[in-house]
Amino acid sequence: MNNKPRIGVYVCHCGANIAKTVDVEAVSEFASHLPYVKVARNYAYMCSDPGQLLIREDIKNEGLTRVVVASCSPRMHELTFRKTLAAAGLNPYYLEMANIREHCSWVHTDRDEATAKAKRLVYSAVAKARLLEPLTEKEVEVEPSALIVGGGIAGIQAALDIAAAGFKVYMVEKTTSVGGKMSQLDKTFPTLDCSACILTPKMVDVASHPNIELMTYSKVEDISGYVGNFDVKVRKKARYVDMDKCTGCGACAEECRLRGTIPNDYDMGLGKRGAIYLPFPQAVPAKYTIDPDRCLMLTRGKCGKGPKCVEACAVGAVNFEQEDEIVEFKVGTVIIATGYEIFDASKKPEYGYGQYPNVINGLELERLVAASGPTGGEIVIGKGDKAMVPKEVAFISCVGSRDDSVDKPYCSRVCCMYSAKLAHLILEKLPEANVRIYYMDVRAFGKGYEEFYDRVRREGVHYIRGNPSEIFKRGDKLVVKAEDTLAGRPLEDEVDLVVLAVGLEPRQDAREIIDILKLSQSADGFYMEAHPKLAPVDTATDGVYLAGCAQGPKDIPDTVAQAKGAAASALILLSSGQVKVQAQISIVDESTCRGCGFCVEICPYGAIELVEINRMGNMAQVARVNEALCKGCGACAAGCLSGSIQQRSFKDQQILPQIAVLGAMK
Amino acid sequence: MADLEKLITVAKETVSRDDVKHLIGWRQGTYGFRVSPHFITEPEEADKLIFSPLCNSNLVNYLTWVEKLPVPRGQEADTRKVALMVKGCDSRAVVQLLIEQGIKREDVIVIGCPCEGVIDLAKAEEMFPNVLEQVEARWDGEKIVFKLPDGEKAVPREDVLADKCLRCRYPNPVLSDVLLGDEVKTEGNDDYADVDGMEEKTTKERWAFWEEQFSSCIRCYSCRNVCPMCYCEDCILDRLNPTWINRSNNISENTAFHLARAFHLAGRCIECGECERVCPVNIPIMTLNRKLTKEVREKFDYDPGTDPDSKPLQASYLPNDQENFIL
Repeated sequence: MNNKPRIGVYVCHCGANIAKTVDVEAVSEFASHLPYVKVARNYAYMCSDPGQLLIREDIKNEGLTRVVVASCSPRMHELTFRKTLAAAGLNPYYLEMANIREHCSWVHTDRDEATAKAKRLVYSAVAKARLLEPLTEKEVEVEPSALIVGGGIAGIQAALDIAAAGFKVYMVEKTTSVGGKMSQLDKTFPTLDCSACILTPKMVDVASHPNIELMTYSKVEDISGYVGNFDVKVRKKARYVDMDKCTGCGACAEECRLRGTIPNDYDMGLGKRGAIYLPFPQAVPAKYTIDPDRCLMLTRGKCGKGPKCVEACAVGAVNFEQEDEIVEFKVGTVIIATGYEIFDASKKPEYGYGQYPNVINGLELERLVAASGPTGGEIVIGKGDKAMVPKEVAFISCVGSRDDSVDKPYCSRVCCMYSAKLAHLILEKLPEANVRIYYMDVRAFGKGYEEFYDRVRREGVHYIRGNPSEIFKRGDKLVVKAEDTLAGRPLEDEVDLVVLAVGLEPRQDAREIIDILKLSQSADGFYMEAHPKLAPVDTATDGVYLAGCAQGPKDIPDTVAQAKGAAASALILLSSGQVKVQAQISIVDESTCRGCGFCVEICPYGAIELVEINRMGNMAQVARVNEALCKGCGACAAGCLSGSIQQRSFKDQQILPQIAVLGAMK
Repeated sequence: MADLEKLITVAKETVSRDDVKHLIGWRQGTYGFRVSPHFITEPEEADKLIFSPLCNSNLVNYLTWVEKLPVPRGQEADTRKVALMVKGCDSRAVVQLLIEQGIKREDVIVIGCPCEGVIDLAKAEEMFPNVLEQVEARWDGEKIVFKLPDGEKAVPREDVLADKCLRCRYPNPVLSDVLLGDEVKTEGNDDYADVDGMEEKTTKERWAFWEEQFSSCIRCYSCRNVCPMCYCEDCILDRLNPTWINRSNNISENTAFHLARAFHLAGRCIECGECERVCPVNIPIMTLNRKLTKEVREKFDYDPGTDPDSKPLQASYLPNDQENFIL
């Protein structure tokens, strides 16, 4: 038996999609005379069952060893036809497709010219087909566990779902407690559920679930490996309190010499805590932590006649000798739920944030109205003699959103609604207050949102269309200078309190995860999903998913929905237990590779590493592709200066003849 | 200016070290204004080292040109350090090699020579034709002093220095282990006037110009071989399967060769000008390279071979990279 390839060419009509513009009969007639072509046929729908049967029969009866399908984009049906080949016992990678629909019939009107182009495309595919090599898809085992980075509501929901399905979950949270930004909110729009009431049970579940290993006050240092097999390294920071012994009684905090002197981040700095602290009463785990930057023992090595916390602790949990601990483990999948930061309003100096104490941001007001907040839920601005209950309140929306001047062109999606909610809460607590909201547009797009917007307007919240240009002080009052663009008149509005509805922005430390996992960022700086519509929780890195505001601004319902989506995606991987990896991957010719590492930097998937090899006694550095990580994008092959990287099925020797015949045809 | 006494002392010390394989510097050539590379392994050979306005060659490509012979079983590969004299421009080649991991920092000892400019051989030979005896030269303020058979001659530096030196932005080595002498003042200001001149031409004029230049190319590959940044084990221009560039010498293949060579240096060319210096048919190769260098500098604010900790240009991405040149 000779080894000459036997090629079958199948030209699809795609109903009228192709046949209307391309003379498919002529194309298959042309193809039948091409080198190594044994059969050339045309059929109404190649992707249909009878169409596929044609191919299978020919493979069996004509002994075809290569198949060319001239139809639509390979993105559409390459997998379909690969399966057809496999079903007939042929290696699925002996398939080559000529796209005569998107690249030809759909974009041309002249039948003769379109037919001529279709012939060229088919010839080109045939020229490559004979050079195709058989490839096998490798399967790798999936480690049955997940890592969730971030312990906000997104991470919590994803963790609970994966744990409920029976898989091990490692949750890493940077702060001392899970809960995230949601735990700082008072009530949630539009239903006015108490945020803590709906969140706290889930926080407790995370800590108590047998499948979840919670690591708070910890940081992911490194993630290496690939889909199904990630090696994770986590640094558990020293809390200086023994987690196993601490009962959370709080006796230590009562005694701390710095009690009530250190601004509490949880309360946006409005409340004060000691050096040993629990950020908020519902914190999970309910274990105390010593602030290493403030504690007298840790900064000066001396605390009066001896640290009072040690004295106060009945179980002896305080331990100043504790050190950071590095934990290493393996997971099959990773969910990034690192959340967001709020826009720093001092970047808009015209609003006087940071300059006037009664210009505050939304999250600060959130703490002021919260019953668990520093004022016990009373809306009081300032302290002591200067304490003041505001009567005239102005909200300014879109602070750090939809604003090119601060490089935030996007809508933060929650500010309109949280302003409406906070306005409602102010009126609930201070019925005498006058509340107005300066806005550009009100975006009340979610379920029940428009109704809530209507409700607060009926309650007397006054909406003024116009973005204030400036806020300045006049006597005891703040003056909001704006234009009511609907009435067409300028305003100087004297108020007691200005609330800036600050937008959401990517975390400052977003880069850290990018460096570790090679994620991409979209233009706004949030982590980029694999596809904005069809793969919103996936990333370009297999096995890594996104949940919540790490991917872009979202409200709580959307965050929870996405977290559940990310959990479901992760569970597909975990429950199948095995994952097939790309076969059309890059390969390095180690004999010519000069080890410059361009490919390592270029690879969007972190699939290439430099290794030392022994080249006839001399050590040389060369690139090596991790077959499980490579997606076959070909970027490395294009970037390689020495031409040492080739991509399987797209090797120079396969593509150049394909191009050559295009030039050869008149 | 570089301190010659210090050079000899440093060189002697360096080659005496057990972990140093050899030192590469310059010595007087056999005739005229020529200099030769000087490889020394013994301290006594150091006396012949020179550093003068004649030292126009870039020695950095000897770092990667070393043939790594197979090591017989039972023997260890020679991993000793190589010491090397560099001018400002040459040092950028070392840095670019470090960026590209072509060499390891611990494998080289860089002897930096602050440089006030080197001669353009053609300019010197035009000024003093047919000098067969060895000529010595030294810097003297705004002049270059040549020691010719008929006595010393001082020549204004701008008349005899290479063009690249007159616009040099890096006269002092950007990286060195030992610096010979004090740093010299940076006077050069490179405004890419030569490239601008080329850009002002119409496409047709440019094509006619380069067609003439490339048609004279004899494909000796000197430009590639002398380039410190061309160090692939197996150059794609030499490969037969696939044959990217045909061996025949014609305008089409010559053009393909020159464009491939230039593009392989985009974001990597450190402008030492060696390619143009060695070209036997005087093709203005640097104009091609400098067009790319100018683009790289304007579009990405990137100077190849200046920061050993930077990433290679083609392999780095910043969210604020310009994209307006993408169609």
